[in-house]
Amino acid sequence: MDLLAISINHRTAPVELREALHLNQDEIRAYLQELKESLLSEGFILSTCNRTEIYGLPRHDKIEFADLQRFLTQKRPINGISDDHFQQFFSSAAVNHIFRVAAGIDSLLVGDNQIFGQVKESFQIAEDQRLSGPLLKRLFDAAIRVGKRAKTETLISEGAITVSYAAVQLVEKIFSNLSKKSALVIGLGESGEIAAKHLHDKGIGKLALTNRTTEKAERLAETLQVRAIAFENFKEHLSEYDIIISATAAPDTILGKNDVKAMMRKRSGSPAVLMDIAVPRDIDPDVRKIDGVFYNDIDSLSVIVEQNMRKRMDEIPKVESIIEEETAAFFSWLSSLEVAPTIKSLRDLFEQIRAEEVKNQINKFPESDREKVDILTKRIINKILHMPTVELRKSADNSTDSAETMEMIAIIRDMFGLDKKTKE
Amino acid sequence: MFNIVDSLNLLLPGLYAVTFMAYLVNFFKDIKRLDNVKRLFLFITLLLHAVYLLSRMITFSHPPITNVFEILTVLAFCISFSYFVLELVTDIRGTGLFIVIISLLFQIVSSLFIKDSYEVKEVLKSNLLGSHVFSALLGYSGITIAAVYGFLYLLLYRELKSSTFGLIFQRLPNLEILEKLSFYSAVIGFATLTVAIAIGGIWLPRAFQHFSYADPKLIATALVWLLYGLGIFFKISGRWQGKKVMVLSIIGFLIAIFSTFVTNFLAKSFHSFY
Repeated sequence: MDLLAISINHRTAPVELREALHLNQDEIRAYLQELKESLLSEGFILSTCNRTEIYGLPRHDKIEFADLQRFLTQKRPINGISDDHFQQFFSSAAVNHIFRVAAGIDSLLVGDNQIFGQVKESFQIAEDQRLSGPLLKRLFDAAIRVGKRAKTETLISEGAITVSYAAVQLVEKIFSNLSKKSALVIGLGESGEIAAKHLHDKGIGKLALTNRTTEKAERLAETLQVRAIAFENFKEHLSEYDIIISATAAPDTILGKNDVKAMMRKRSGSPAVLMDIAVPRDIDPDVRKIDGVFYNDIDSLSVIVEQNMRKRMDEIPKVESIIEEETAAFFSWLSSLEVAPTIKSLRDLFEQIRAEEVKNQINKFPESDREKVDILTKRIINKILHMPTVELRKSADNSTDSAETMEMIAIIRDMFGLDKKTKE
Repeated sequence: MFNIVDSLNLLLPGLYAVTFMAYLVNFFKDIKRLDNVKRLFLFITLLLHAVYLLSRMITFSHPPITNVFEILTVLAFCISFSYFVLELVTDIRGTGLFIVIISLLFQIVSSLFIKDSYEVKEVLKSNLLGSHVFSALLGYSGITIAAVYGFLYLLLYRELKSSTFGLIFQRLPNLEILEKLSFYSAVIGFATLTVAIAIGGIWLPRAFQHFSYADPKLIATALVWLLYGLGIFFKISGRWQGKKVMVLSIIGFLIAIFSTFVTNFLAKSFHSFY
């Protein structure tokens, strides 16, 4: 199988080069059309913030990896890019690579959930652009199956691996039902905004935002349909919230031990979670000594992230085992697309039908005619199968690996259900 | 019948051990298949334990409450049975090993030292007494389970406070759930203890002509009942919650165990049948 693949990714190139080669969906569509005309008979492009990859069956055997790389790099002037920034994969290695990508074990964050959706999208675009034949369609199905199995049969995507998600994981270890809890986010820089959106998506019961720049808080509050509190007054409202996430850019602490003590007195000892994801810290770390207060900063959240990453890494062998199974299944299917086995399967199918029908009806014929019936039905079958057999052999003589031959074989196998019959 | 009693007496510790191992393995390794298997083991163990207790009752013509080792096997059953019901209702399956181990230990001691007495004091043959003891043991089971969850709550609380995230953090349900489990167990324990006290109040004057309400056992039981009653009241009224209530559940359990030990083995009480 002549499947070629090139990849520029987080392992081979710095972020500036990856950014330069990143393609949006419209660009992918345009590139695919050009590839269809010049280099590939079938193919697809995957482009995310951490990788851009092209997979495809070359139009003729003189097309090489360098042609695909040149195609990509000549579209835009990119300083400093070289062949060393590309990985190259051929045939089974290319299949293995796309399976690893779909399963999330080739990602910068192992078990990344986003990549599976991005891989499916790239397949869809290729199908829309009519750049996928039976081989790539089969490859798409297998890759999607690998991605799904990795998620359902292993723990590769379990556990928080970013600080924001770790904060939520920690909160869920204290409170059982976030929809009955309330949260206040102090500081709406990048981290604060992510935390606010994440809590909102998790269905927090009540959410409030506060920021030194009031307009920013009001803007985000309007988007999320939540409350904005003036920064000057937020301390008066502290006791109303079960979860407080602080992510300001203040050079000193904004919440001292006494502020938190007063808050806990008003809460009658009801537990409160304080997440300090600011650097330098916003909250006096001594507050962790107050009964009922659970205080965590970036260091302690990073411990959770590291633990979860280690657990995901432990799951990689299980995912690789799934990839091995699906790769073997894919190549088993591929080898069944050879001509000789298909002709044999077709003949066997027709013979089986003939023999069954003769057996069921033979008693309607006199004894003396029965041999003639047998011979006659065999001749009919041979005549019917003569042309398909000749055409398939002719196609095999030209090239068994040609896309046209494979398409013909795939159609015959589908139309006559030869694969179902094989399984039975 | 005699053989069933002996056979089950030998089998039960093994069954509890297997059930405990299933919960233990599932705690350390999150194997999804074990989720249902361990529950099935517990169900089979409880079923056979119930058969054992009934067999003892029929064979020896008295409820299995005439010596401390009979009490232990009944207590082992009550504790695991209460947990089983709690697990079915809440579908929280990760804490079973901390409960089943108590049943395992009680059952091992019981199986090793249990006496088969055909002849017992007449007063111990009463079915009313049997109901009293059974409901009291259910009450103490509830209190025990409440204390276990209180203990687990404090373990998790400590890990969260110190920002260390070990196996306890990873495998136990969250603090609110642990608190709820402890509270529900305490409420059920308190309710069944109330039933036990009520039945005892009816039975006592019938069984003993001369007794004193200043009997150590009655005082100790009243103390435990009051303690849990107050704790439940303060919890429901919102005055106490979280760590405070959990510490109380453990203190209450320790007082209950200590007072039972003292009144049954050391003090002079009508409750000392042994």
